Amino acid sequence: MAKLLIIAEHRNGKLSDATMELCRIAKEIAPGLGLEPVAAVFAKDDSLAKEVAKYIPEVFAVCDAAVEGYTSDAYAQAVKAVVEAKDVKGVLIPHTYDGVDFAAKAAMAINAGIVSNCNKAVVEGGKLVLTRNIYNGKLQETKSVTTDKFVVTFEKGAYDPAEAGAAGAVSTVAVSFTASRTKVKEIIAMSTGGVDITQAKVIVSGGRGLKDADKYKDIVIPLAAKLGAEYAGSRPVIDSGWVEASRQVGQSGKTVSPDLYLALGISGAVQHVAGMKGSKCIVAVNKDPEAPIFNIATYGIVADLFEVVPGI
Amino acid sequence: MKIVVCLKQVPDMESKFKIVDDKKVDEAQIAFKINDFDNYAVEAALQLKEKHGGEVVIVSVGPDRAAKDIRQAFAMGADWGMHITDPAIVDGDSFVIASALAKAIQSIGGVDLVMTGVQTEDLQAAVTGVMIADMINVPHCTNVVKINTADGKAFTLNRELEGGLNEVMDLTGPAVLTIQSGINEPRYPTLPGIMKAKKKQLDVKSGADLGVSASSRTAFIKMFVPVSDTMAEIITGAPAEAAAKLVDKLKNEAKVI
Ligand SMILES: Cc1cc2nc3c(=O)[nH]c(=O)nc-3n(C[C@H](O)[C@H](O)[C@H](O)COP(=O)(O)OP(=O)(O)OC[C@H]3O[C@@H](n4cnc5c(N)ncnc54)[C@H](O)[C@@H]3O)c2cc1C
Ligand SMILES: Nc1ncnc2c1ncn2[C@@H]1O[C@H](COP(=O)(O)O)[C@@H](O)[C@H]1O
Repeated sequence: MAKLLIIAEHRNGKLSDATMELCRIAKEIAPGLGLEPVAAVFAKDDSLAKEVAKYIPEVFAVCDAAVEGYTSDAYAQAVKAVVEAKDVKGVLIPHTYDGVDFAAKAAMAINAGIVSNCNKAVVEGGKLVLTRNIYNGKLQETKSVTTDKFVVTFEKGAYDPAEAGAAGAVSTVAVSFTASRTKVKEIIAMSTGGVDITQAKVIVSGGRGLKDADKYKDIVIPLAAKLGAEYAGSRPVIDSGWVEASRQVGQSGKTVSPDLYLALGISGAVQHVAGMKGSKCIVAVNKDPEAPIFNIATYGIVADLFEVVPGI
Repeated sequence: MKIVVCLKQVPDMESKFKIVDDKKVDEAQIAFKINDFDNYAVEAALQLKEKHGGEVVIVSVGPDRAAKDIRQAFAMGADWGMHITDPAIVDGDSFVIASALAKAIQSIGGVDLVMTGVQTEDLQAAVTGVMIADMINVPHCTNVVKINTADGKAFTLNRELEGGLNEVMDLTGPAVLTIQSGINEPRYPTLPGIMKAKKKQLDVKSGADLGVSASSRTAFIKMFVPVSDTMAEIITGAPAEAAAKLVDKLKNEAKVI
């Protein structure tokens, strides 16, 4: 039977959650597509492949020094080799930093259409229908792939991870790699130090809606002080230097889960929400009634934050 | 250095998006601007030009209205541009757009570096830069947050990773870099810049001019407003009144303050 292949993701010898999420998606949609769910793990040995085999019936391990660390050249070559050797029709890849770096290249290598950054996949009449955010999450669209083979990338956290079960089969696939044109020198930790906002019970967080550094300081910091809270911000606030990097909430910042998260002038982009959706109570103040933040907030006020905040 | 920046004009995301026939948004109520990430790419290109000399070329696929924002990049300091307005390309999927951009880059010739944004704010695909790199057969680096080069040919780049990590990597140009926000502080156009921008060369091209033969590999089905089963309880009233009601709820209902 033709196969639906997920590409496992790992760093420092550890599988990412996104890998197990893809296992769930593959097992869910493969039957409707008449495909068999399988995984590929690219690493120096097959130890992680054995781990992935707990979540999916069959795993192909590409064990080679070329994939000991990640490079897009090696990953695209490995995907192509497994697709050709194992009668693969569809490839699922996490929409993460590494996934974004090689998914489109892998799609090109196998002449497949790619639908990226999806949050839902269903099979309708044998056809794969993919849902994804557009316009920063204010709208969504559905898409399908028209080529024979397909590649789909999935937003992290869109699905729950698969549960571990009986161990599946692991076999190896040999790939003859050509040298990568990119050379990884090292992986380093950035912004260490600064305040630790992750322990705060209450967080007042400001976004681009605060307009500038002075207004951020005049509005967010005093409110935080009044509530005995930490102050924080969305990525644009940090990018613009209004506050220090250790206070950024989101995918590329901190993950927080306070009792109360007050989001002021934050639209609620997926990458922001990834860092705060575990908060017990979320309050959104935003003048745009269609801002996606209202879809996940507990309480919302649709108004100009500069008029609302003085009353809190 | 000859640097090409791929720039897309996108709606201001604070606009009101009204869907027409389940398939497009009503542009009448929308203001347009440069895709945020592309603005950082323009600035990164201008900084390299200032250091190493050369030129910055803007390439954009989009309807006529996009010319306004190509000229905005001219006003920031970009030298000239190419605008692909052909509906057959504009209405294509990412593969068609990347194919057209790749052909445009090849037609310019002698390009040392291509820069795109990490993603477009409207399509959020994050695929175009990587596709272009593959089509013109050069290496790439995505989510670039730092660029180091002594000669404009050998690059040491920081690629943003999850959990506050950066990958430091080397590659030799020509290459495609997808630029992440925060890498720099994009400049605002100056008045003389705006004046000069009006006279800068902007070539309008069709798919046929560039020899684009690609067709879409994906099909759009429909668009809709997401429905949430965790929609917020909206607190109404004048701002001060809403704020007071909120405080009461936080104290007595949610019991979090
Ligand atoms: C790989 C990657 C990683 C990322 N990581 C992160 C991350 O870790 N954290 C993060 O936050 N983002 C991250 N982003 C960026 C993310 O996609 C969004 O661009 C960002 O979260 C938007 O920030 P914002 O909500 O402050 O700004 P915007 O999206 O511009 O929203 C501003 C909001 O303020 C509202 N507003 C404006 N004026 C007022 C007013 N007077 N009163 C009330 N409301 C007002 C507007 O209606 C709007 O909804 C990442 C993106 C990528 C591609
Ligand atoms: N129509 C377009 N014209 C010019 N550049 C584009 C276009 N679409 C995408 N790009 C470039 O590719 C990047 C990634 O876009 P996307 O793959 O759509 O998320 C953008 O930040 C732009 O630099």
